[in-house]
Amino acid sequence: MLRYTLRRCAWTVVQLAVLAVVVFALTNLLPGDAATVDFNEQAGLEQVAELRAQMGLDRPWGERLLDWAYGVAHGDLGTSLVGGGPVSGVLAASIGVTATLAAVTLLLLVPLATAVGLLTGLRAGGRTDRAVSAVTLTLTSVPDFVLALLLVAFFSLRLGWLPSTWVGVDGAWWERPELFVLPVAVLLARTVCTLSRQVRAGTIAALHSGWAVQARRLGVPRGRLVLRHVLPNAAVPGVQELARTGDQLLGGVLVVEAVFAIPGTATALVEAVQNRDVPTVQGLALALAAVACLLNLGADLVTRRLAPRTEVLR
Amino acid sequence: MKAARVANGARVVNGVRALVERVRRVARVRRDGPVRGVPRGSRARRGRALGGGLLLVPPVAAALLGPFLAPDPVPSDGAPYAPDEGPLGTDALGRDVLALVLRGGASALGVACAAVALAVVLGGALGLAAAASRSRRVDDLLIRPVELLLPLPSLLVISLVGVGWRGHPVAVALAVAALNVPAVARLLRAAALDAASGPVAEAMRLQGESRARVLFGHVGRAVLPVAAADAGTRVGTAVFTVAAANFLGLGLDPTSPDWGVVIAASREALFVQPWAVCAPTLLLVMFTVGANLLADGLLGGGAVGGARTGSGSRTGGGRTGGARTGDGRTGGGRGDGKATA
Repeated sequence: MLRYTLRRCAWTVVQLAVLAVVVFALTNLLPGDAATVDFNEQAGLEQVAELRAQMGLDRPWGERLLDWAYGVAHGDLGTSLVGGGPVSGVLAASIGVTATLAAVTLLLLVPLATAVGLLTGLRAGGRTDRAVSAVTLTLTSVPDFVLALLLVAFFSLRLGWLPSTWVGVDGAWWERPELFVLPVAVLLARTVCTLSRQVRAGTIAALHSGWAVQARRLGVPRGRLVLRHVLPNAAVPGVQELARTGDQLLGGVLVVEAVFAIPGTATALVEAVQNRDVPTVQGLALALAAVACLLNLGADLVTRRLAPRTEVLR
Repeated sequence: MKAARVANGARVVNGVRALVERVRRVARVRRDGPVRGVPRGSRARRGRALGGGLLLVPPVAAALLGPFLAPDPVPSDGAPYAPDEGPLGTDALGRDVLALVLRGGASALGVACAAVALAVVLGGALGLAAAASRSRRVDDLLIRPVELLLPLPSLLVISLVGVGWRGHPVAVALAVAALNVPAVARLLRAAALDAASGPVAEAMRLQGESRARVLFGHVGRAVLPVAAADAGTRVGTAVFTVAAANFLGLGLDPTSPDWGVVIAASREALFVQPWAVCAPTLLLVMFTVGANLLADGLLGGGAVGGARTGSGSRTGGGRTGGARTGDGRTGGGRGDGKATA
């Protein structure tokens, strides 16, 4: 386990390095840099060129990449071209909301999806299973933003139960849990569906496997069989799906933050992209990509712990 | 490195097995009639496929025929959000919503479909080349760089590329395709290796068939249904991703008639002029739900089949003492490994 963990971690480090280069390359595709955005139309070409030199945007991109990578390795994400403050400051100011949003979602997601998946998996083919499966299948294919609009229209505008946006909320968002209800509901809707379907498939496969049949023949009580033997195996596809859910969740967070005007990392990123604020985009994109990478790592390690047989498949 | 490879390999192999099992089971059911123990599910599934197909008709028709039926919507002098002008009213710029909806499907669905087609072609070529290469090094060289790109968050890439290239549809399509290539390549590589080390390929080799015949005659054919099934599920996701990017204002131009853009632009007027939001939303949801139901209905709930046809390997040996219950073939050598290739 230790050797596996070390190797897997080393691989993650390589992945992160490549991600950094890809993020850098992608942001350099943005035509028109902050120098052209920062100035209004009256600025002459020389002024723009001067500003560009001042910002260090005229150097070859290999040099800038090395410079940036050196900074990132030392915990310095650079300086925002628009605000003038450090990028880490932008990140620190916005990460709290986004992390809370994601953490609350994950906290609710895992038990909910496991319960639904187990329930439907144990009664595969039954009426409950068919009803729940139809709902989950449909919900997975409803786009996040459509769901968000529907929920806002119904619960905020029609019934007036919940706030429809975060506009006007400054500072003490943690004191108002009702702000989180709709965003978390939107984030949960799709992820619970995909995840519970995986758990359901895993449960069915585990229940029908030879060792489960044998355990039942030996008289292992059903409750114990399900909780102690089937669940860890059923969780394997679920945990791996959870890592992929990271991508879905990230996309969902982007959409949810945009719809509800939540001042989180995703909003900051979209703003930075629109302002051509390259260092901020790089820093935030790298941070989000690193989170996705680490989620993957965690999922692989947990999978390994739950079912240490993957090496057989080599 | 190796560890990651094993974990990734196992993940893909499991995915491929489930898919292959589904496809095989569908074939078997078709050939032999309903298998004992599954008929209820299979009827429900056929209903699902039919429902999915029917749901797909309006959006696809709107996307294909719409551009010929409707004039290019231009901002008129009409009032914004007027519910009585035209059958579906007007949007914020005073454009006719019906014309917008008919014009917007081509980009909403076309970009995603083109992207998936491109991804399947590129990813398939890459995956099959990696699987067919005899040296481990070439295989590594082809597939490893692709695996590195897997954890890139999709909306992030689309937003960067979309904004970078001023929201050109081709750029968005290329970005979506590039995001799908790694997954397709890995899946098809694993599927090809699975087929290449199965009993049929072995028998062909023993009979002295040429390498090319085994590759194109058997392996290529065995991979096709997997590729088709995978593409089916990918189209839905791609439409979804493109629409989300457009909704966020990161994709196409804010005045384009694309469904995602129109939904975003008119969402403040949901109660004033509901059709401006509801019409494109309805078509979009019909397409994604329909595509998902159709793919699921045609390929079936793989879990039941997979369990029934004894793919014990997926869950073989658990905590119950680690006994291997796979049918021997599934243990080593198959799938990611190249024992017999």
